[in-house]
Amino acid sequence: MLQRYLDPAVLAGISSLDLLAKTVVDGFVAGLHRSPDCGFSQEFAEYRAYTPGDDLRHVDWNLFARTERTYLKRYRGETNSQLTILLDASKSMQYSSGPLKKMDYARFIAASLFYLAIHNQRDAAGLIVFDDEVREYIRPSTRQGQLARLFAGLERAEPQARTDYSKPLRHFQNFLHRRGIVLVISDFYEEPETIIHAIAPLRFHGNEVILFHVLDPEEIRPVLKGSMVLVDLETDRKMEVVPEYVKTQYRARMDAHLEALRTQAHAAGMDYQLLVTDRSLDAALREYLALRQAGN
Amino acid sequence: MGFLAPWFLAGLAALSVPVFVHLLRKHVTVPRPVSSLMFFERGIQSSTRHRKLKHLLLFALRFALVLLVVLAFANPFVRRASADANSRLLLIVLDRSFSMRAGTRFADAQQQALTTLAARPRGEKAQIVALGGEVELLTQPIADDAQLRAALESIEPGDGHANFGELGRAVRAMMETVHGPIDLDLFSDMQHSAMPANFGDMVFPPSVKLTLHNVAKGAAPPNWTVESVNAPAELADPKDPKLSRVEAVVVGFNTPAATKTVSLVIGGKIVATSKVNIPANGRATVEFTPLNVAYGFNRCAVRIDSGDAFPADDATVFAVRRSDPERVLFVHAAGDTRSPLYFGAALNAVAQSSYVLQSVGAEQATDLDPSKFAFVVLSDSLTLPSIFEHALDAYVAKGGNVLVALGTSAAHGARIPLWGGQVQGVRDYARNGEGIGVGQVDFSYPALAQEQPGHDNGGWPEVKVDYAALVDAAGVRVAARLTDGTPFVLDKQIGEGHILLLASGLDNLTNDLPLHPVFVVFVDHAARYLSGTARLSGSRLVDAYVQLRSGTEAATAAGSVEVIDPEGRRPLSLSEARTAQSLRLDHAGFYQIHFANGQDAVIGVNPDRRESDLAPIPDDVLELWSGSSSNEANGTASATAPEEAKQPVSLWWYVMLLGLLTAMAETAFASRYLGTEREEA
Repeated sequence: MLQRYLDPAVLAGISSLDLLAKTVVDGFVAGLHRSPDCGFSQEFAEYRAYTPGDDLRHVDWNLFARTERTYLKRYRGETNSQLTILLDASKSMQYSSGPLKKMDYARFIAASLFYLAIHNQRDAAGLIVFDDEVREYIRPSTRQGQLARLFAGLERAEPQARTDYSKPLRHFQNFLHRRGIVLVISDFYEEPETIIHAIAPLRFHGNEVILFHVLDPEEIRPVLKGSMVLVDLETDRKMEVVPEYVKTQYRARMDAHLEALRTQAHAAGMDYQLLVTDRSLDAALREYLALRQAGN
Repeated sequence: MGFLAPWFLAGLAALSVPVFVHLLRKHVTVPRPVSSLMFFERGIQSSTRHRKLKHLLLFALRFALVLLVVLAFANPFVRRASADANSRLLLIVLDRSFSMRAGTRFADAQQQALTTLAARPRGEKAQIVALGGEVELLTQPIADDAQLRAALESIEPGDGHANFGELGRAVRAMMETVHGPIDLDLFSDMQHSAMPANFGDMVFPPSVKLTLHNVAKGAAPPNWTVESVNAPAELADPKDPKLSRVEAVVVGFNTPAATKTVSLVIGGKIVATSKVNIPANGRATVEFTPLNVAYGFNRCAVRIDSGDAFPADDATVFAVRRSDPERVLFVHAAGDTRSPLYFGAALNAVAQSSYVLQSVGAEQATDLDPSKFAFVVLSDSLTLPSIFEHALDAYVAKGGNVLVALGTSAAHGARIPLWGGQVQGVRDYARNGEGIGVGQVDFSYPALAQEQPGHDNGGWPEVKVDYAALVDAAGVRVAARLTDGTPFVLDKQIGEGHILLLASGLDNLTNDLPLHPVFVVFVDHAARYLSGTARLSGSRLVDAYVQLRSGTEAATAAGSVEVIDPEGRRPLSLSEARTAQSLRLDHAGFYQIHFANGQDAVIGVNPDRRESDLAPIPDDVLELWSGSSSNEANGTASATAPEEAKQPVSLWWYVMLLGLLTAMAETAFASRYLGTEREEA
């Protein structure tokens, strides 16, 4: 029943990101409990032989007393990660064919992931909002009030300018001191090579990089009932387009773009997830958790 | 094409609205935003041209819608000839005149008419007309086959005389109520004698298409008939050689010279026979004398043994009443001996009259009973004994008739006995020189009746009147006037009787009428009219009328009239017998009539002998007649007649229907295009 609240159309009616994220994550987690394949816990994971340099606090002394061997007792929940979300706030994210803008959908995803990371996983979480430069940076942290700061940062993220991946990502690399999980939420209206080329350095630093490609269904399968003039939200450039082209060549080019982005992302060791704004949010959460689990 | 409400065309100014909206106002295109034009390419096909075309179509629809609405209010109409099949009327005219009895003419005509009726287009209205002595409309314009067929089959050959002029008049009158075209099919023997004197009378209106069906094919067959019979209606003395004689004229139409046997039949028995040589296409006279008839009414006939193809016209019937001579009371002024002399001489000169004139002075008339006389003449006798005058009043009221002649004693202000008025003045024409003539004569008046007055107006203009009394003519019938308009012969009905007033005298002093031959004719007809014998016996033509009672007579005061027609039937119903004013003699034979005042009459009725001349109308005349309608339609009458045939047909309904369709199309197109634009926006 709580799955219903993963529906973007339902979430659009919730004004508070805090409540929205709680609703999404609680519903998602409850759904996971019913699925044994996707389960996880913070219980005992394994023993590992002590090596010099390990923290002695993690030695299982009871085991040492019985066996006189030093083993480290490891728990799953004890491994903390750092989640950093790069949110594209360019004007193109303002596009909407339905009740939900791509920016809103991206906010919901980010908020839900922040909630999930901080509240459930006790990971550090940070946010970088960018367009053609970094507009907002919230350092990853697990401090008290971090979640509220992140939500406030999301609230302030309004689409403004064009997208430029190279400049903010170059700047972003300066902030990364600890490897973790990097989520890039964008509509990726750029050549795949350029995108991968700009994001690939993050991967080189040992980060797990996930590309969340947010698109409106109308952007994938647009429908024109007649010839009309289209205007680019970012550049204000106008172009007259005929429906025949949209029905055939546009779709082919869009599909090729998606496929190229997916392929090149995987080739660069990144995960890629296409998120369509009329679908539920669980795909994004499941991707994150899968990666989180794999990282442990 | 026109408009019933053209002032609504001012609404055409509303056409500027779609012009402004579509052509003058610049169209604003709202571009559709997209995230990126990265994957789009500029279209080769110009959407602007598409849009312009769509908008032009929408503009045309809106323009047409406004135009049609305005036109619908202006109510356009076209003049359309109402010549569709359902509006045509088939008028079947079947000749039932006497001549149609010859051979199988009537049966042929009736059969052809039935065939024509059956062959008409389904649903076309038809009307059946019988043409005899008068034009009878047997049905209304209907489409019921059974009713039309029954009407046709009910027509029987009659004894009347057809006249195509009457038919033309009837059809022209019919056209005042039937506005559509008429297909007139005339089934007749096209007898020449049925043509009117004026060809224009038988010409039909242009919208009537005449089709002639001549059932008398070929030349006219020879036909002998008894054209006329001159026999006394009243006979007092069968031994009187002047009166007791029957003179018959037999005539042959299209006949060779032949010897025929002519018989006199009295009471069904042949009493005399005579052979007569009739020249080719000529006449011959046969005389039977004496006429030995019994007292009372005698039904007589003159019959020719013709042996031709038309035996129905071989006999002419007449009735002779034998009675004692009737007395006529002639009251004259004292010392006036001239007027009884002239009047008596004229009365005796009339062969067919059987009157004895009793002449008395006015002062000697006190004890006389007028009811014992056939009629009374008051010659210049303005002063009568009161007892006699009262007796005359009662006599006239009961049906007696009086001739009043105003002579020299008729001074201004003198009271006219019985007349109920005074002499309003006198006209002394002799003082100014010669007297004045008689101008207008009504020859339909029985006392002045002449069948063929001729160019000399019956001899009346030769009469010179020197002195005439001026009488108020209001409410009376003026039968003759002098050339200056002064009433000369007047008739006034009082009760059942009539007063015949002569505004001058009978004494050759105030006029020279007694010296002219027309005086004898006048006395003859006046005597017969005043005595009433004119209507009691003798012969009439078919379709003549017999007056059954006077117009002023109250129906309740008089008894019933009894009429027995030649076939022994009573043509009048009980109510008609009490109220009918006149009777139309529409059958040949003897009519027996019992009048309300107790008088009996037997009248022989004969068909008009013009029907015996079976010569048809020449073919060129028939072609002219049947083609006259269309010719006139193409000729002089084309300026007016086709206009009358066309009727304005309003196009309001069609325009409104077209406007509704345009509105629906405009709604569909507008919602599609504008909906697309909204979506694009």
